[in-house]
Amino acid sequence: MVYLIFILYPVIQAVWMGFYERDLLSLDRQEFIGVDNYVEMFWGDGLVWKAGTMWPWRIIGLLGIIPAVVAFRRGRLRAGSLVAIIIGLIAVFGVIMGIHPGEGGRWNDSQFWPSFGNTLVFVIMSTPVIVGVGLAMALALNRPGRLVGVLRTLFFAPYVLSVSVLTLIWAFLLSPQLGLIGAFWRSIGLEPVSWLTDPSLAMPTIVALTLWWTVGFNVVLFLAGLQDIDESQYEAASLDGANGWQRFRHITVPGLRRTLLLITVLQIIASFQIFGQVFILTRGGPNGATRVSIQHIYEAAFRDAQLGYASAMSVFLFVVMVGVSALQFNFMGGDNR
Amino acid sequence: MSSRPTRTIGYAILTALAAVWIIPLIWMFSLALSDNDALARDTTNLLPVQATTDNFVTLLESGRTPGWLFNSVVVTVATTVFTLILSAMAGYAFARIPFKGKRIAFPLVLAGLMVPKEAMFIPLFLIFADFEQHNTYHALVLPRIAAPLGVFIMTQFFSEIPGEFEEAAVIDGASRWTIFRRIMLPMSVPALTALGIFTFVQTWNDYLWPLVSATDPDMFTITTGLASRQGNFAQASALGDLMAQGVFASAPLLILFFIFQRQVIRGISMGSGSK
Repeated sequence: MVYLIFILYPVIQAVWMGFYERDLLSLDRQEFIGVDNYVEMFWGDGLVWKAGTMWPWRIIGLLGIIPAVVAFRRGRLRAGSLVAIIIGLIAVFGVIMGIHPGEGGRWNDSQFWPSFGNTLVFVIMSTPVIVGVGLAMALALNRPGRLVGVLRTLFFAPYVLSVSVLTLIWAFLLSPQLGLIGAFWRSIGLEPVSWLTDPSLAMPTIVALTLWWTVGFNVVLFLAGLQDIDESQYEAASLDGANGWQRFRHITVPGLRRTLLLITVLQIIASFQIFGQVFILTRGGPNGATRVSIQHIYEAAFRDAQLGYASAMSVFLFVVMVGVSALQFNFMGGDNR
Repeated sequence: MSSRPTRTIGYAILTALAAVWIIPLIWMFSLALSDNDALARDTTNLLPVQATTDNFVTLLESGRTPGWLFNSVVVTVATTVFTLILSAMAGYAFARIPFKGKRIAFPLVLAGLMVPKEAMFIPLFLIFADFEQHNTYHALVLPRIAAPLGVFIMTQFFSEIPGEFEEAAVIDGASRWTIFRRIMLPMSVPALTALGIFTFVQTWNDYLWPLVSATDPDMFTITTGLASRQGNFAQASALGDLMAQGVFASAPLLILFFIFQRQVIRGISMGSGSK
């Protein structure tokens, strides 16, 4: 019962609230407004469609069709999934991303798409970095010995800190005047960098400190996965004259496939939920460069008092996240089933 | 397995990384133990400047820090205890007791695993707002104890225990409740320890829900309280105080982690690796 009330009911409530207008300051009053919240969220005045808008991103997105086709031809993807993926990619990258406000036009909610875009940027930057570094560290640590145990503990330790301790340490560490990093920069004769106030550096910096904070979790999972690979396979391969890269490519990677899938999905889902780091460190600044979806939802609800609208945006984020993880499982786990 | 030079380079890189990982932590402890006036001149030492415990004493004697710590302890301990009880009982029921509706209830719990908590804080807020229950302990505890992951882990765990243990007890005339309490619970201590620590850490560190639900400064947890003091970084006059507060917020977890690290690490592999 408890589960129904606190986990599944909120989902239903969110979908339902998404069709209402509800004010934080007068909670008792609510008014059914149909899909207006979604119109407010997705749409705008004077929108036009142009093939050339954001074309580099859209071409990259459309290229996603190629691996899907390859996977299909290798029998890893069912025909139905292939069609769904192709239609989805063309719809999102070919059509929807071409829509933008024309001359004198504007979005109804000028913050919605940019904050969602920033969330995506964080997901796209942080996932390969945190998963890749985690894998590299796990491979380096995957040997017997006391020192390795100590290092594993060390790399995991920041994971138990709360987000406000994380921001406390790094805000000062990164501070050009007070921090260790600024001091280090000066000692090698360089001008200290204002990591968090430079719009082009702020998001990569957030990724870097998130790496420090959470990579230990992935390392532990990768190490558990590596332990399951039979040592004798490596020995046999060495006898056959396989070099390090070949052993990695043909034994480690296939052996880790499940772990890799799991970690990637967990990481993407965790990255979509980014909030605390940016909310405390930058408040979404500089100039909105790190404003993410959850912050937008939070501010819509508690600063602008639009709870119905915030619910509608929660539903959108929820659908995107479930969609991404379903797609991932389908794509990468295709041959396991 | 690998040749000597690559091995040496590997260790060199690992050592450098280890330094990057540990220095920020050492720095926090060092600043927390430093004199505030000395910090006004120089903050780039890895060892305390004019070492003193004044910062900790000040925090404990005045201000809201003791209250925030107390809130955190109450909420975290309550959440952990209730999560363990509920997960163990629900897990045992799902794994062993045939009951009506199980085929619907268990998939629903699994579906709960898919629900991203951070995307659902608005409806959760509304539920508690409708009953005017914000700024209370139970508002902070209740949503957390609905832990599908805990139920899932415990169900997995109980399914793997061989049936013979129970059969023997049934022959001796033991009731289901006795079996659960006398046989199953003692056997599940390792799993419960791991789950308990995991829940403890997650709850202590929870940020978004306490931020939304407990808006009265007296109801802040140490996590949201510490965040609330970071609004304006320009005022670095009480840097030592702030860092000491950071130490208060992280010390319980670091200590717990170092004592129970094996269980923590096992718990992580158990919780996500077994899916």
